[in-house]
Amino acid sequence: MSSSEQDLKQLWDEVVDLANRQYGSAPFKRLLSLKFSRERAQQYSIQMAYYVGNRRDCWAFVQGSSPLDVKQLIWEHERDELIGNESEGKQDHITLAVKEGEVLGLTAKAFDQTGCIEGGVVCFSAWIRLAQRPWLEAIAASAILEVRNSAELIEGGSLSRRIGGIFERDLGIPLRKQMNNAEHVVMDVEHAHLLMKVARKYATTEANRQAIINGAKESLLIDRVYRNHLAEMLEALP
Amino acid sequence: MTIVDELLDTLDKMANDQFESQEFHSFFSVPLNINRARFYVIQNALYTNNRRDCWAYVQGSAPLEVKRVIWEHESDELINDPRAGMDHYSLTVKQGEVIGLNPEDFERAEIPPMVRSCFYAWHHIALRGHWLTAYTASHMLERRNNGKIVKGGGMSFRVGKKFENELGINLKRMISLDVHVVADTEHSENISEMFQRYVKTPEDHQLVLQGARDSMAIDRAYRGALGYYMERIA
Repeated sequence: MSSSEQDLKQLWDEVVDLANRQYGSAPFKRLLSLKFSRERAQQYSIQMAYYVGNRRDCWAFVQGSSPLDVKQLIWEHERDELIGNESEGKQDHITLAVKEGEVLGLTAKAFDQTGCIEGGVVCFSAWIRLAQRPWLEAIAASAILEVRNSAELIEGGSLSRRIGGIFERDLGIPLRKQMNNAEHVVMDVEHAHLLMKVARKYATTEANRQAIINGAKESLLIDRVYRNHLAEMLEALP
Repeated sequence: MTIVDELLDTLDKMANDQFESQEFHSFFSVPLNINRARFYVIQNALYTNNRRDCWAYVQGSAPLEVKRVIWEHESDELINDPRAGMDHYSLTVKQGEVIGLNPEDFERAEIPPMVRSCFYAWHHIALRGHWLTAYTASHMLERRNNGKIVKGGGMSFRVGKKFENELGINLKRMISLDVHVVADTEHSENISEMFQRYVKTPEDHQLVLQGARDSMAIDRAYRGALGYYMERIA
């Protein structure tokens, strides 16, 4: 293995390790140890639609500052998220979140009428700020959230898979009926590789590799704060 | 007349007025030779890249429906324009072959200081402006390239004619300029539809006008800068 391949492997191992360690953090444990009533699941689902909206903001900002070939990768990434894929019968991810809400007894109106939690507003602003940092940090910050949601890379299952499992356990809704969770269980496996593709070409110096690690770490920090706010909101509900 | 009709008329007038500005006159008055033409085509590729940056930034702050419109817009620009069978950057590089440029000439190209300043100014509006302001700032550059709006033809058409008249290169061979004569007409019409949806109040109206004014000012500075540098090329 050449030294550049070793550097890349070391970088990737560290990224995957950081994503896995999220699940050992207090906020993630707090969120994932909750019992989900229907009302809690509904509110969680609505807040996830806001989260998905923020992802669309951030990925677009990252696209703006990236080199042309990376812009093209992000544009493709956003097809699934923003537009869907008609030929594969796939809907965009906001629509999926709303459809998943129907299974939980929510109407589209409920999504329009329920505000984002305050902690969410703050975390979303922090993620946007990170998305406007130098592009390697910025792309790592957005991509790490998909690594953290990759069933292939996370031992014990991705966040979507674990939440899906809780919905199934507590509400009796099988994962296949949870369209948003089910889609992300599959899609984020594929999307998680975007960062590796980019790193292979651009993580050629120690400074660049460090930028990727810094972006990933800062985003995971925000992610922990965000999940803590979600847990707090859910605990306040019956 | 609705608030949007009135607004669109104002934007059309601003797009037309660009061609009466001293900076545009100065740019168009510099006679082309092959070296100046090469400089222009390379700089145009860098300008295209700056557009990709800015549209993505605008997408970042725009409402979801507008994000989708911009994503579609970027399909032609960034991935593949069916009119040309390639993305617009590749199209510009391909166009360079007609005047003896190769891809390395584009990769090695430097952005001159006055042009760089304009690019940063466009970035600033796209990143920091209200989304309506940012959106209009990017849209106006396509509006002033729309031959249905600009009397005497948009920028790409006029530059294409300049290549034809002064260097004897038919507009059809300047494939990027030729595609943009049509593409920016369609793009500016699709993008313009969003004003009907989102401009409801005098405040919205002002945000749009602010973006148009700022972007057109930068555009004049940019064209003036290109003219300045081209004049100094033998």
